[in-house]
Amino acid sequence: MAELHIIGQIVGASEFPESSLFCKWGIHTGGAWKTLAGLRDGQTQVDNPVSHDSAYWAHPIDIHLTTKGLQGWPKIHFQVWHQDSHGRSELYGYGFCHVPTSPGMHEIVCPTWRPSGSFQEQVSQFFLGGSPQLKNHDLIYSGADRYRLSTIAMGKVHLRLGVILRNFDKFGIEC
Amino acid sequence: MASSSVFLLMVGGQIETGEFPEFDDIYCKYCFTYGQDWLITSGLEEGLTQVTKKSKDERQIFTWNFPLDITFKSTNPFGWPQCIVQAYGLDAFGTEVVRGYGVCHVPITPGRHKIQIPMFVPESSSQLQKFTAWILGRRPEFIDPRVVASGEGREVTRVRSQGFVTISFNVVMKDMKKLGYDVIPFRSDFIHGPRECRNERHINRNMMKNRSFMMF
Repeated sequence: MAELHIIGQIVGASEFPESSLFCKWGIHTGGAWKTLAGLRDGQTQVDNPVSHDSAYWAHPIDIHLTTKGLQGWPKIHFQVWHQDSHGRSELYGYGFCHVPTSPGMHEIVCPTWRPSGSFQEQVSQFFLGGSPQLKNHDLIYSGADRYRLSTIAMGKVHLRLGVILRNFDKFGIEC
Repeated sequence: MASSSVFLLMVGGQIETGEFPEFDDIYCKYCFTYGQDWLITSGLEEGLTQVTKKSKDERQIFTWNFPLDITFKSTNPFGWPQCIVQAYGLDAFGTEVVRGYGVCHVPITPGRHKIQIPMFVPESSSQLQKFTAWILGRRPEFIDPRVVASGEGREVTRVRSQGFVTISFNVVMKDMKKLGYDVIPFRSDFIHGPRECRNERHINRNMMKNRSFMMF
């Protein structure tokens, strides 16, 4: 069986309307993939930066996967949340990126979006806070059913990922 | 540990510079953390830099130029080494205060890499603690700095990022390809030559960049 190591960091986020952000992340794979070691999901710390606009999480990722097929190459998905001074959390963005298929170091910038909601929801969000959220989180990384959403652009999530492949070339796979 | 299933990871490098706009004197402590399958074969796992002052020009940087030199061996890339940097400084009363924790993985590809590490300090978890910290002049610290290199239990921490440290790494590996691991992309232009040739060329190119590696 071929093996894949993903070693790296969720570095941080930029271009969000406010700092004091944290991120929930997870790895989604197809059915042929198995996790041998490492965390498949997690939540970062809340960063409240002093002198710059970007939040930094430096959240380590180290995961060892094995696979019998190429379908469902791993994807990393994120939910970025904003935590205000009273400890209330508000959704700021959804996003996903594919784990690169070529081995080596990769700097990845992942754009994010959030559901914008109806006009009424936007008015109530302006005065009361809170934001519409997805009931079904599969929508973050799947293309089906997206057409029913209306969304708005949010900031970017930055990742530094190292990819190590093992025995892919033994099965004739060129990455 | 059978010698045929072991690969080596040799890391050279330096803690180059830092940026902490709010502070004047900083020194760094570094340590490496790694998984169970890893061992250090040579080099120092921990170290302490000199104390340096912020430069008096418009760059406002701290320069340590502190050497890192360590070799690991392992059977499994899982638990790949991470470099933890802690920055310390003196406050107005002369007590030592932590100015930042930072972490990055040792790069997984051979060659030269320059990484800017964000540095953050934990925040007090309640207003009362914030107040007592202010009265006593004792800021919150991590008891074990290795928590910054682990992905678990981070959702309970609130941090303030307040600077950067720049580290350069020179990475050389041995026997990764022999064990079936690919760390650099498949190159079709080398496909007709022997597979080892491809790796050698890559590493040689990096050796030429850094003359200190010529003796390796």
